[in-house]
Amino acid sequence: MLSIRSVSKSFPGPRARTLLRDISLALEPGEFVAVVGESGIGKSTLLNLIAGLESPDSGAIELCGEKLGALGDDEATLLRRRHIGFVFQAFHLLPYLSVEKNVALPLVLNGVASAAIGPRVREMLGAVNLGDRATSLPAELSGGEMQRVAIARALVHRPSLVLADEPTGNLDPEAAAQVLALLRERIKADRAAGILVTHSRSAARTADRILVLSERGLSPAPAA
Amino acid sequence: MKHRGAIGRRAFLALGAFTALAGQARGARAEPSYPVVRAGERLRFPRDHGAHPAFRNEWWYITGWLSGGRGQELGFQVTFFRNRPGIGEASASRFAPSQLLFAHAALCDATLGRLEHDQRSARAGFGLAQASREDTEVRIEDWSLARGEAGYTAKIPAREFTLSLQFAPQQPLLAQGEEGYSRKGPLPEQASHYYSWPQLRASGSVTQGARARSVSGVAWLDHEWSSEPLAREAQGWDWAGINGADGSALMAFRIRGRDARRFWAGGSLREAGGRVRVLEPGEVDFRPLRWWRSPRTGTAYPVAMAIEVPGRELTLAPLMDDQELDARASTGTLYWEGAVRAAGAGAPYGKGYLELTGYAQRMKL
Amino acid sequence: MLSSAGVRASLALAPLAANKGRVAVSVFAIALGVALGYAVQLINQSAAAEFAQALRVLAGDADVVVHGPRAGIPEALYPRIAALPEVAVASPVIEVQARLPGQREALKLLGVDVFRAARLQPDIARAEGGEPLDFLREDRLFLSRAAAAWLGLTAGDELALAAGEGRLALRVAGILSASALRERVAVMDIAAVQSALRTGPVVTRIELRLREGADPAALSAALERVLPPGVFAEDPGQSVERNARLTRAYRVNLAVLALVALFTGALFVFSTQMLSVARRRVEIALLRALGVARGGILRQLLAEAALIGALGAAGGMALGHLAAAAFLQRYGADLGAGTFAGLPVTPHVDPVAVLVFALLGVAAAVGGAYAAARTAVRAQPARALRAGDEHEALRSLEAAWPGAACLAAGALLAFVPAIDGLPIAGYLSITLLLIGTLALMPRLARVAFALAPQRRAASWRLALEQLRFAPGRTGMSLAAIVASVSLMASMAIMVASFRHSLQDWLDTMLPAQLYVRGGEGAFLADEALRSQWTVPGVARIEFLRSEQILLDVAHPPVTLLARDLDAARIDRSLALVGESRLPAPGAPPPAWVSEAMVDLYGMRAGDVVALALRGRVAAFTVAGVWRDYARQHGAVVIERREYARLTGEERAGNASIWLEPGADPDAVAAQVRSRMPAHAEVELVRTERIRELTLGIFDRTFAVTYALEAVAVLIGLFSLSASFAGLALARRCEFGMLRHVGMTRRQIGAMLALEGFAVSALGLAAGLGLGGVLAVVLVHVVNRQSFHWSMEIHTPWPTLAAFALVMLPLASFAAWAGARRAAGYDAVRAVKESW
Repeated sequence: MLSIRSVSKSFPGPRARTLLRDISLALEPGEFVAVVGESGIGKSTLLNLIAGLESPDSGAIELCGEKLGALGDDEATLLRRRHIGFVFQAFHLLPYLSVEKNVALPLVLNGVASAAIGPRVREMLGAVNLGDRATSLPAELSGGEMQRVAIARALVHRPSLVLADEPTGNLDPEAAAQVLALLRERIKADRAAGILVTHSRSAARTADRILVLSERGLSPAPAA
Repeated sequence: MKHRGAIGRRAFLALGAFTALAGQARGARAEPSYPVVRAGERLRFPRDHGAHPAFRNEWWYITGWLSGGRGQELGFQVTFFRNRPGIGEASASRFAPSQLLFAHAALCDATLGRLEHDQRSARAGFGLAQASREDTEVRIEDWSLARGEAGYTAKIPAREFTLSLQFAPQQPLLAQGEEGYSRKGPLPEQASHYYSWPQLRASGSVTQGARARSVSGVAWLDHEWSSEPLAREAQGWDWAGINGADGSALMAFRIRGRDARRFWAGGSLREAGGRVRVLEPGEVDFRPLRWWRSPRTGTAYPVAMAIEVPGRELTLAPLMDDQELDARASTGTLYWEGAVRAAGAGAPYGKGYLELTGYAQRMKL
Repeated sequence: MLSSAGVRASLALAPLAANKGRVAVSVFAIALGVALGYAVQLINQSAAAEFAQALRVLAGDADVVVHGPRAGIPEALYPRIAALPEVAVASPVIEVQARLPGQREALKLLGVDVFRAARLQPDIARAEGGEPLDFLREDRLFLSRAAAAWLGLTAGDELALAAGEGRLALRVAGILSASALRERVAVMDIAAVQSALRTGPVVTRIELRLREGADPAALSAALERVLPPGVFAEDPGQSVERNARLTRAYRVNLAVLALVALFTGALFVFSTQMLSVARRRVEIALLRALGVARGGILRQLLAEAALIGALGAAGGMALGHLAAAAFLQRYGADLGAGTFAGLPVTPHVDPVAVLVFALLGVAAAVGGAYAAARTAVRAQPARALRAGDEHEALRSLEAAWPGAACLAAGALLAFVPAIDGLPIAGYLSITLLLIGTLALMPRLARVAFALAPQRRAASWRLALEQLRFAPGRTGMSLAAIVASVSLMASMAIMVASFRHSLQDWLDTMLPAQLYVRGGEGAFLADEALRSQWTVPGVARIEFLRSEQILLDVAHPPVTLLARDLDAARIDRSLALVGESRLPAPGAPPPAWVSEAMVDLYGMRAGDVVALALRGRVAAFTVAGVWRDYARQHGAVVIERREYARLTGEERAGNASIWLEPGADPDAVAAQVRSRMPAHAEVELVRTERIRELTLGIFDRTFAVTYALEAVAVLIGLFSLSASFAGLALARRCEFGMLRHVGMTRRQIGAMLALEGFAVSALGLAAGLGLGGVLAVVLVHVVNRQSFHWSMEIHTPWPTLAAFALVMLPLASFAAWAGARRAAGYDAVRAVKESW
């Protein structure tokens, strides 16, 4: 489903340095991995490469049978729209859309028929325990609630891959635990693959396996 | 004073650039026909006290000394000029400037150390400015000089002073030259009609600022008219009119040529007894005794003069040195005209006025 | 070296240094607003100052000026006045408008008695070139510097002048010093003017200086005994005032235009400040998080804004000065209205105005920054983490009552009459209507966007959702564009109404085919000259005599028109407003007054009024009111035979000629001209030519207002663009997220374009609607009160439609372009920002 082979990425500029060196990874549907590593080591860059938002210097990334390197920006966007769901540290809900409309956004973008949108959104909101907040605006929600909306949005269009970048960074531990549990549950329920980028060991432990990103590459974490 | 050059000159002083000389210099313009002054035309009074508008220039000139009570002496000068510029004579407008009138007045107060003076100018007409043809009655607005039963009356409300004076004749008038035909140059038409009235008893009041005082003194009137401008050869002139304490009267002038030599001269001496001697050009001699240089203009004037005529040798000393009149800004003229004391053979002779022109530059025409 | 002060200084200055571009935009915005207002203020100020100066110089040191009808006052008054004991100097002046071959404009020729004029104004005798006697000569004249420059003449040159029935062949004797006379004028001897131009025994005015210590009241009393009816004495201050009134209405109109421009500029400043603060939300939140007190941040932002404001104001003033100088150079002091022809004008700098505009610039910057910064600072750092917070602050903008109250007050003010001759209430009404509309914009946006059709496309949906969610924000973005568009639209409607009404008026007022105008004092209608009009092709001739009469020293003179007319069919000759009712038998003869007479002198139909005709007072019955676009200070029409009966004056200076059907106007004109005496300087004009000229002047006059409006609209566009850029910056995380969840760049672009389009459409619609309302106030209140003439509203639909069609894409583009640049920000980084 996702296969990353020998990907390297460096950034130009005055402090040019290679962030990612010879990274390889393969993920199957239903698999949920955590990537941990020091700050600035390139965890987010890895996600961007996978999402087709940046391109690697070398190596190849294949998502759902499509080689990302061969795609233009629009094609990559369409691929992302169809196959990827995102959860951000800062939630990034549209302030002017109600909770249900925020969740519906990927369906609208994917051209799902209006009739099909309502039931699916309600289903997802129910799944993240926010069935009663469908018409609320994001500003009326707590941080945990907002992130749960974000999880619903990330999975509403049944993506193949969910990318979560520090989803608990802005949350208190209790809410964080709840959100992580939900994220895992929804990924498994939809048989999506999931990559959780975090620097928190405890968060990482909710994944099936933990990979450590270091200057030497991506390697399985030593057993705790 | 006055040679025909002087006539033009003297008129020019007050008329400033309004003199007809300017018009003549231009040459091309059609001149009106001005009457020529001829010998043998007898003066007739009172008609000839009045204005002669056909002639180019005319003036009534009164100078004299006044004293007000405590012995302080003042010199004064009041002049009315009439000029026929030859402009607008056929005009239908009542404003036509065919006759121009000018007046000038100066007061010499030694305590001030400078002259106070003022002037008026107007076109004749509308009853606001006029010169009567019947008798001396000339007026520019509120300035006036008129002759009546008892003599002349001058009313001059000037900027810094007001003169209100009467002049009563003590002696008959004095026709200058040949019965009023006064030559100003070698050509017979270079002449003016000219009579004087010396030894006028002056009385009245002088107001300076808020201070009015009664004054009395002796004055000299000249009335002269002509159409001839200043001779081309002339640079300027010197003129003196002195009322002798003994009742005699001396008038002497000389016209200086451009080469600083005498161009013409003349005058008259009337003894107290009434005998008149007309002075020929060769009988009048002016000799500078002392020069005074104006601190303002740098011009030097012979403010003290010796005048020699047959039978009299006089030295003239000014009431004060600074009697320079700088009218360049308004009329373009710069000259000295002042009250002088005359002495003969070491003894006082009389008081009068001395006029010195053409010392700064020959007036630009 | 690291010190507390150093860090503080860096905190204050670094943002400015780091954002040179942003600072430059803000400075430019303020500069533009200030420049506009200041330029128009300068132009006004200079015009008024120059005008007053010219009049003062002309009047010299006169304490009192005696004047009467345009035709002059009898010269016999002069000695009587000069002889009054209170009068020190009386200087008679005759003034004529002389025509020069090859010049359309007349030269003002003053005939003076130099002896007297020089006592009031000594500089007049100090000319360059010439000699004093030239002031008396009949063939010499002196030119003011302005006139010499205009005619390209110098001392010694010859020129020919014509006025009335007379001609003058003259030589330029010299050039007057600029301190003597500033305007375009020639001076020569009064007698020469009277006699050569056959003016008769009249003078135009007599200027007086009081004797020192004289009692002005005693002089007034003495003058009252001396002066015949229709001749007035006034002090020159009054005359300056009266003459300033001539142009005041026009100047006030310009000033208001400038204020609207400045207002638009302030809105622009406000949006750039909002943009600037939006860009610095992160920085502000960081400072707050670091423990910098709210007040400290606010002060810093305000200090920055003040600095920007000061820079902008300084630049604006320089720009305004240049613009004003250029305008004055190009159009003269009245921007082409033709009121102060020939007056050379340089900008007059007024320190108070400089200070006011500097403060306005700074205030606009600080005010904009304050409004923007307050919302940024007020947010709790934690609350700021939640998107959508700033919308809360704008919710208060959606209250409807303040806007509604403004509109109601504005509507009421439109019914308040003029104050001191100025339509102050009308302007207030316009201001309140504008502010009220701006205040209601959020509400309007909410309603409008709720009505917008729903579409499937994500960009459409998102754009609409975003607009519906934040109508307050939309309202703010739109303020400048609504203000400028409404200004443009209202002016366009007003001008079109005016032009349309003017055309109708010309049709009524110019029914004949040929018009003949004699010069000043030239007379065409002597009965003896009748024969010269018996030309083949001429069907009918009407004569008209025109003169200026002064009814009240507080007002400029009014025009008396003695016309051949059919009193029963007066509607054929005059553009009547309402009916004409002829007086009952035995009542005084009829007079028809222009609307200005109603406004200024309170004349009503049926009133019996007294008019001084050539020194004689005669009673007339006001039979009707007519519309007059030619004479804003008032005009009275009476029958010419009535005038002749009362004054014995049969002559007239103007004639209208009706042609036989099929007659060739040019041929008839040539015939008529050939029968005129050779010296007669008369002008024969075809009606079409008069219309052409009139409309040409009309269009030229308004050309400059178009330029001002265009600048205002440009500022409005800038402002829209800037506020969209600000919004887009605030929303860059949103765009980042949308890219992540799969919106293409094009879709985001389309969304922004849709938002821009929708907002622009709303702004245009609101601006045009408001413009229509403002036009009604302009036409029926401001113009009526300023110029005392009425007009019919005429909406130039094609023009407005074309304007809308051009503006809509322009505004959409401006909005989109503004947002586009901000949205181009790296989407990948944007999502990492937490604020």
